[in-house]
Amino acid sequence: MKPWDPLDRAALVLGLVSIASALFVFVSGELEIVRVQVAGVVVAVVLGLLAIAAGWLESPALAVGGGVLFLLAAAVQVVLLAGGRSGFLGGNTSTFSLWLGLGVGMIAIGMVPRPELAEESPPD
Amino acid sequence: MNERSGVIFMASTEYAHGPNNPTDTDPTDTDPTDTDPADIDSSTDTGDTARPVSFLPSRIDRAVIAVVRVGVGLLWLQNLGWKIPPNFGKGDPPDGLYLSTTYAVSHEVLHPYALLVNQVVLPNFTFFAWMVLLIEASLGAFLTFGLATRFWALVGIAQTVVIMLSVLNAPNEWIWSYLLMLLVHAALFATAAGRHAGLDGVLRPACLGSQSWLPRLLVHVS
Repeated sequence: MKPWDPLDRAALVLGLVSIASALFVFVSGELEIVRVQVAGVVVAVVLGLLAIAAGWLESPALAVGGGVLFLLAAAVQVVLLAGGRSGFLGGNTSTFSLWLGLGVGMIAIGMVPRPELAEESPPD
Repeated sequence: MNERSGVIFMASTEYAHGPNNPTDTDPTDTDPTDTDPADIDSSTDTGDTARPVSFLPSRIDRAVIAVVRVGVGLLWLQNLGWKIPPNFGKGDPPDGLYLSTTYAVSHEVLHPYALLVNQVVLPNFTFFAWMVLLIEASLGAFLTFGLATRFWALVGIAQTVVIMLSVLNAPNEWIWSYLLMLLVHAALFATAAGRHAGLDGVLRPACLGSQSWLPRLLVHVS
């Protein structure tokens, strides 16, 4: 079995983190690190699966796509909050921060120069 | 010093050098072109008996630093939850971020800072509140996932100083909670904590050989 490229493994981990964050739908009080409600669970799970797929398929393009969607979700969440309510996503500013990190992280994973591509480039 | 137990700290490097160092490897540091001393481990063995190792040679050390980094990231991330736009607590009665900001004036810590808050920040509170939201959201995001960690550790230090200057003399505050925040961010900076189970550790090796400005910038801030 081929060992995972660290970049693809990182995409897998970010996907798992996103899916794990959906468990906060069951948590309240002091341990509620991020607020997640039903629509937020859908975002966390679907985009988490996308991140896992990006890692599994070793696809930088999919990683960038997933990252953009995380950033879009974060932007929508903060715009909804600016309107004075959590809106249909049901998150809070912590949710915005989490999705911001996942989005930037996925885009960085997708855009960083891959070693195999660097090897193919002609020497200076 | 006994050769077998000798550890030589080389000038301007972050790694130990000796013939009997541990050889456990960091799976994130697999790029043979990685010439950054902080990332050198046994995978870059040059063939002689000397084996440069990471500044944090044991897996336990690296795991602890990673846990601390994630914990600090989650601290910022969770405490963003009570900074609620669009008013951020500005109302009657005031609460949340607005109330905390007014403490800089009502429970003055440093007179020039109190003057700045009174004359500049409070009259333009909404703008500064959004800046706080963006900075602390980024602190939570980047420190939790270990991306550009050294830069964000410095930002965390700066933001902690700002918080201290605002609320240190407010009722029921404990100075050591803020001093601990300063110290833990300093530790994240000093240990380049994102390189241990963080995105910096994955991205740095790929960025080290790049000529593009963004990867080079990441190398500097990670």
